[in-house]
This record gives sequence, C-alpha cells and structure tokens, in this order.
Amino acid sequence: MYGRVFGVAVIGVQGPLVKVEAHVGRGLPSLTVSGLPGTGVLDGRERVRPAVESAGLEWPLRRVVVNLSPANVRKEGPGFDLPIAMGVLAASAQVPARRLAGFAFAGELSLKGDLVRTHGILAAAMAAAAGGLEGVVVPEANASEAALVEGLTVVGAPSLGAVVGFVRGTWEPAEPPAGPAPADAPAGIDLSDVLGQWAARRALEVAAAGGHNVLMVGPPGAGKTMLARRLPTVLPAMTRQEALEVTRLHSVAGLLGSGGLVEARPFRAPHHSISQAGLLGGGTGSIRPGEVSLAHNGVLFLDEVTEFRRDAVEGLRQPLEDGRVVVARAIGAVEFPARFALVAAANPCPCGFEGDPRRRCLCLPHRAQAYRQRLSGPLLDRVDLQLHVPRLTRGELLGSESGEPSGAVRARVEGARARQRARLAGTGWTCNGQMSGAFARREARLSTDAEGTISAAVESLALSGRGFDRMLKVARTIADLEGSDRVEGIHMGEALGFRTLWQAEAVASVG
Amino acid sequence: MSEVSGDTWSPGEAGGRGDEWIPLRRPSDIAAELSAGERRGLGRKRGPDPSDGTPVDAPHLAWPDGFAVEPEDRSALLVLLGLASLTPRRLLELAAERGGAAACLDAVRAGDAGSDADHSHARSIDPVGVAERMAAAGARLVAVGEPEYPPALLDLFDPPAGLFVAGDRLEGLEPSVAIVGARRCSEAGRDLAVSLAGALVRAGLWVVSGGARGIDGAAHRGALDAGGSTVAVLGSGVDVAYPAENRRLFEEIRGRGALVSEYPPGTRAEPFRFPARNRIVAALAQAVVVVEGAEGSGSMITAEHAMEVGRDVFAIPGAVTSPLSFAPHTLIRDGAGLITGPNDLLSDLGLSEPTGPDGAGTGSGSGSNDAVEALGPLERAVWDALVAPAAADVLARTVEQPVSRVMGALVGLEMRSMVRQVGGRYERRPGPWGTRR
Repeated sequence: MYGRVFGVAVIGVQGPLVKVEAHVGRGLPSLTVSGLPGTGVLDGRERVRPAVESAGLEWPLRRVVVNLSPANVRKEGPGFDLPIAMGVLAASAQVPARRLAGFAFAGELSLKGDLVRTHGILAAAMAAAAGGLEGVVVPEANASEAALVEGLTVVGAPSLGAVVGFVRGTWEPAEPPAGPAPADAPAGIDLSDVLGQWAARRALEVAAAGGHNVLMVGPPGAGKTMLARRLPTVLPAMTRQEALEVTRLHSVAGLLGSGGLVEARPFRAPHHSISQAGLLGGGTGSIRPGEVSLAHNGVLFLDEVTEFRRDAVEGLRQPLEDGRVVVARAIGAVEFPARFALVAAANPCPCGFEGDPRRRCLCLPHRAQAYRQRLSGPLLDRVDLQLHVPRLTRGELLGSESGEPSGAVRARVEGARARQRARLAGTGWTCNGQMSGAFARREARLSTDAEGTISAAVESLALSGRGFDRMLKVARTIADLEGSDRVEGIHMGEALGFRTLWQAEAVASVG
Repeated sequence: MSEVSGDTWSPGEAGGRGDEWIPLRRPSDIAAELSAGERRGLGRKRGPDPSDGTPVDAPHLAWPDGFAVEPEDRSALLVLLGLASLTPRRLLELAAERGGAAACLDAVRAGDAGSDADHSHARSIDPVGVAERMAAAGARLVAVGEPEYPPALLDLFDPPAGLFVAGDRLEGLEPSVAIVGARRCSEAGRDLAVSLAGALVRAGLWVVSGGARGIDGAAHRGALDAGGSTVAVLGSGVDVAYPAENRRLFEEIRGRGALVSEYPPGTRAEPFRFPARNRIVAALAQAVVVVEGAEGSGSMITAEHAMEVGRDVFAIPGAVTSPLSFAPHTLIRDGAGLITGPNDLLSDLGLSEPTGPDGAGTGSGSGSNDAVEALGPLERAVWDALVAPAAADVLARTVEQPVSRVMGALVGLEMRSMVRQVGGRYERRPGPWGTRR
C-alpha cells in the first residue's frame, strides 16, 4: 500500500523537488512523518486527516508513514499539507497514481478541506518547471502567481476535493486568471511632486543612471524621505526576469497581494530598530528573506541610518558588494538575491539643526562628531553619492517650480544605462556603480580637463583614494547621462559636488 | 564709540585707564538714566557681585604695598587663592585692613573672614603642596605688586591678588586685543576669528581670549598659525585642559604665549568660574572684539567688563535672522564699534590707514580682486549671486543655469577656497585679508 507524489521544499527562493512517499500498513491508527520535516510540516499532520474526511474521502485507520525524500534537506512550511494528503490517498488507492506523477503539489489545507493561500508558490512552480514536470497543483488563490512560469500547466484548485477530482479526471480547472492588472507605482508618487531641491533631484537621477548608492544628510523636514520614495520611479522599468525575481522573493515572504507579477520596483524602508535577521534575512524555522532581499531590484531606504544597529548595518557590506546575501543557520546556509539601490538618510547632527540658518544647533562638537562616526566607514565607502539636503525656507521655496515628471528623467536614465551596458559588456557589470576602482581608473576615459580637475581636488578638497574612485564612477555616469564618450571637466566638477561629506568635515574641524 | 575714546587708538596708549576714563553711554544707559534721574557710567548693569554686600559706589581700593613680597606672604597667597568664598574683592578689602597676605590668611584661619568651610579649608591646605603642584604644572605665581603683574588688571573693581602663569612672561603682553564669542559658533565665525587674530598678530599685537571652544579657540589658533603669541585666560587651573579638545592648543600656547588663571593648578572647571575669568580677559586687552554670541552669551559679560574698565568694544555684525548675531547686534546698538573684518579693526585701532570697509557683503568682498577676475563666466555669476548663504538650487535659479552646471561651478569655487558648504548651503569664505594690509 504505497503512494508517491511530488512536493517542493522551498529553501530561500530555491525549491528542490521532494518525493512525498506514503505507506499505509498494519498497526494502530497514526500518522508519522519522517525525512527531516520542519515544525511547519509536522504541524500539518493534524490538518490533513480532518481535511481528507471533510472532502468526503476516507482516512485509512491504519498506521500511516509519510517519508520526505531526499531526507537530508529540512522541509519547511505549510505547503506540504496537500502532497501529504495526496500521498496518503494514493497509498490507500483512493486516487489513481497515473496522473499524479506529472504534477507537483503545494498548498495548505483547512480542516474543511479548502486550499488556502500559501507562501512561496511561485518558487515551487519554478522548481516544478526546472524538475521537468508537466504542471503544478496549487491553491486557486495562488494560481495567477504560479502561471507566471512559462510552459507549465497550472491547476488552481479551491479544495482538496477538486484536486482529487482533477486526478481522477472528473474535474478540470478553469483557465488560471491572467491576474489582475499589475499594480502600478503607488498613485501620486512622482518626481514632479517635489518642490525645489534641484540638487537632490539631480543626485537621484545620477544615482538611478549609474546604480549608485546615495547618502542624504539634512535636518528633519528637509524632504529626504519624500525624495527617496521617488527613486524607484526614475529607475528603468524592470525586465520580466527582474520582475520574476522580485515576485518570487515577495511570494516566499508572503508579501504578494492578489498574485500576479510585481512590476513596480520595490521600495523598502525598514525602521531603524530592525534586527540583523530582519534586515538581512533569517529567523527560526524557515529562513525568511530580509529587507535587503525584499528590496531586490528596487530601493532600500535607511532613514536615520546612524540609529540602526551596528551589526545590522555592517551586514549590508556583503549584499552591497555581491548583490546577494547568504544567511547561515545551524540547518544550513541559504542564499537570497539582494541587489538594491541603497538610499541612506541622516540628520547632520544629533539635534538636526547644524547649518540651519534660522535654528541654532545645540550639539556639543564632540557629540556631533561621535554621531557622525556611528555611520560605518565601510558602508560609507560603498556610497558614491553624498549630499546635503537643506531644509528650504519659505523664501527659498518661493518661485520654485516643481520639476520634470519621473518619466522624463527615466528616459534619460535608460539612455545612460544602455550606454553603460554597451561599454561594460563582457565584464559582468551592468552599470557604473558596480565597477571596481581599478577598472574605473583604467576605463573611465577622462579628458585632460577632467583629469586636471580631479587631481586638483585631491589637493584642495582633501579627496581620499577611495573618494577618488567614487568620483570617477559618478563622473562617468554623468557623462553617460549627457551621451558623452569622454568624461569632461564639467562632468567631473559636478561629480565633486557629491563627494564625501562627513570625512571632509572631520578633517576641517580639527583645531 | 567715538563719543569718548576717539576714532583711533594706538597700542601702548592705555585707553583711559583708572581715574581718567570717562564712561561711555549706551542707549540703554540713557534710558535708565532718564527713568532713574541719575547719570552714571557705563556697564554697571551687573554691578559688583550683589552677594558681596558691597555698595555700588565702593571706594577704589588698592592692594597694600608689600602684600605678597615676603616668602611667607607668597606662600600664604597660594592658600588664599584656593579659597572659593574669598572672592578677589573680599580679599582686597581684607588686605586693605590687614596688610600682608600672611596676615590675611591668619584672619581667615581665625574665622574673621571667609565662609566656615574655608576657615577649616585654610587650615588644611598645605602651601608646599600647592607650590609643588604648581611646579609640576610648569606654572609660576605672579602676585600683585610684582613687575610681571599686568597693571591693566588693577582697573578692575576686583583685581586678582595673583595669577598662575604657564608660558611667556606677561610684560610683553601689551598691546593686545581680546577676541571672544560663541562657543557654538558658525564656520564663518570661526574663520573670522582666525583671520582677525592673524591680522592682529601681523600688526604686532597679542591676542587674548578665554581658551573655550568655538570663537575663543579659533582666535588662539589664528594667532599661533600667523606666528604670533596669545594668552588664554582659563577658568580652571592652568594644568586642567578644559575643554579637553583644546589640550593640544593649550600645549602650543605654553610655548608661544601664556596660559593664565587666577585659580591654583588642579582647580576643576566649574560654571561660576567662567564669568569671573571673563573680567580678566576684558581687562588684560586694550580692546575687545565680539565675533558671535547668542542671547545670554558669556561674550556679553566680557564686553560689559571691558566697558566698565574703559576698553574699546568692537563687534562683528551678522545676519539679523541668525541667533548668533544677538550679542554683537546688542553691543553695536549700545555703541560698540561695528567692524566687518580685520581692516576695519586695524584702522579703528589706528594701526593702519583706513582702507575702506572689508567684509563679505561688499563688492569683491572676500577673495582678492585678482582671484575674482580669474573666475570663468559661470563661476563669476555664481560668485556674484552668493551675497548670502544659498542652496545650490536657489543659486541655479538666480543665475538661470541648470543645477548640474552650478554645482560644478561651486566645486570650482570651493577648490579655490573662495566658497564653502555648510549644511547644504554655500557661502563665501573670508578671503586673503592679509594681502590688503
């Protein structure tokens, strides 16, 4: 009395296919699950029997053993409810085994026998496609998500009864819905909403064009958050591949709303009290993606960056460097993609009013100094664009026009990106922000004028070696935005306007 | 200021000291006179310490001859200077009555003067210990009556009986000008203090200040960097580095100039000592310049002491919207000399021919004309638009150029040290003033 179906163990965003074997044998009625089930899987044992009985089927009153193979991978999540139920039904000869073999099953059951919305279905569907299966059987609520995988038959079933009907050939699913129109960027978010702040807007444009990270320093109320929220709107639209990556991550994290492809670049703004596990990924039981991964292909905004826990911020170095994060736990290491644009914001000093012409800063110099030093140096080294965002007075705002809409800026950004892709072809990099310092020094193509400008800056602006490399990359991006093959003096001059803020100040304040 | 002290002042001519000084009147004094029906001099608003019980019109007392000449008197003075309740004025009165310092100390020990705590304190302090600590700090006692004791201090209502000095001898101190101002100053204020101090030093003067962070520290730094000497009057013992960030500065001042305190070495910095320290700053110099100061600033106290003892007071105005302009503007309204930079100061002090006003608000302002002439057209336009601190976007609107170009121009100006960025706004830096001396 043996049955076998496929399930998927979602680990990170990967999903190895798992054989769910069931054996119904002699002994007292019981259900045992072997093969390294996680707590979430074991928890499902109590749901499966009522669900089977609610569906009008028979639960074998014998000793039932379910084995999850391969046994060396820990399986997590409620998605195993359905394959376990189907395995038991196959082992008790209530469903024919023939149609089972081509499908993977995933989904959580309710006691009533309904299939409820489950996390990570897109990852499961991708695993099924990668495993060469014909299709997947998933909860109806997740069908549009699974349907994103091309060439895969998706069976969205409302209940266990429907799944049994499908396997017996008595029930066919409706065509999976095309999914609701993809959610656009939140309404009303556009760069033209920002009044004034031309320098900061320009910084966003350059950041978007070159894939640079940004640090904005300014008093409360200067508009740092408002600006950061608009960075996704000037980034180039995601490719389908990028959108699938984002959708899969959001699916695993259970953030996918009505299903369908996530087409707007994500914007994540975690609060500064977030733990390292929350930011980078982790957690007990199943390892969840952190904010860095939820911001994959989008923007991670760290407001009050000096207030974040040091261990959390230091942990950003790996994703900023590699575009991925590896979360190591006792049960194994899990890798999540995490390529995001970082926008960090900070007050200029603890009270926030340093440099404000109308409010007096009340911070003692050494306190302000200590505050700045809380910002991790290695992190700052990976932030190419740094700028002050002053709080504009009413007089200064008077007569400011709201600038271009995001679309116009995005068009220039896409042009600059195309030039970068062409130039960087074969390097594995796609934008200037990813270039190594050595590569930037070799390939930036400076005019003599630009070279003179940056050499002078090393002298007169105390530009450090790392600062030098960052300025090369930023100037390269500015030249790309203008469609210039060479980096001219004016491009370099503008780039230097976005140079390191806090280290320069630290030097200046000595004595 | 012209009403009394004249338009010019030359070093060495002690601007009306002692009985000769005629009080300056400020608008606020005139108003007070009108309401009180009395005519009194400047700067008695604070008056002598009211807890002193001394009447406002206290007699002008002089330290008796031979107050601290004999060794036992000098060692008694080491003890007396460490007693908190025995203010300089009380000690002066006691000395007028008893004569030498040893006799004064006996009076304290006998319970005839000072607080109860100090009676026993006076018995327990070991003058040998104080002397050892003084030697360890590399300091010496300069008692009143010694040739090194600055006679200018005797203009004070409560001159110190002695000073602890680490560094150069104080005879070379005159002429000198005090530069004081806000501890939490702006970058522009710091630059001004540095350039003022540099100009004074190049004109052969000493710079006096209070050793605090902010303007004080910048004034000392400017004097030292210009190769001059400076005196820091501390509110703590000369071996106590307060604020700690100025420790290195103080070490340099020991080598070129002097650290001065009326408190024995080892005395910790305490809030009440700083206003008292300010009177010494004011009296030591022949003129006081206030650079920046918010409401309630200690620089107001220094300026008032300066006026009490007949020193000229100058102030550098600032934006009326800036809280740091409160002290200078109040002083200017009360008759302090308005100066916009070192040239004004030097010509007002009679140290140079008037060269017309300098200062960031006028014409080419900071940056010599040559530097301005050398600018490219956009840089020049941006420079001309920078009449007040402005954000890059505001400048871009003024010069009607894209912000990207304006940022490049600003960087160019920054690289020429003509402009600096403070909190996202750009402002002109004070230029090479020394060239127009």
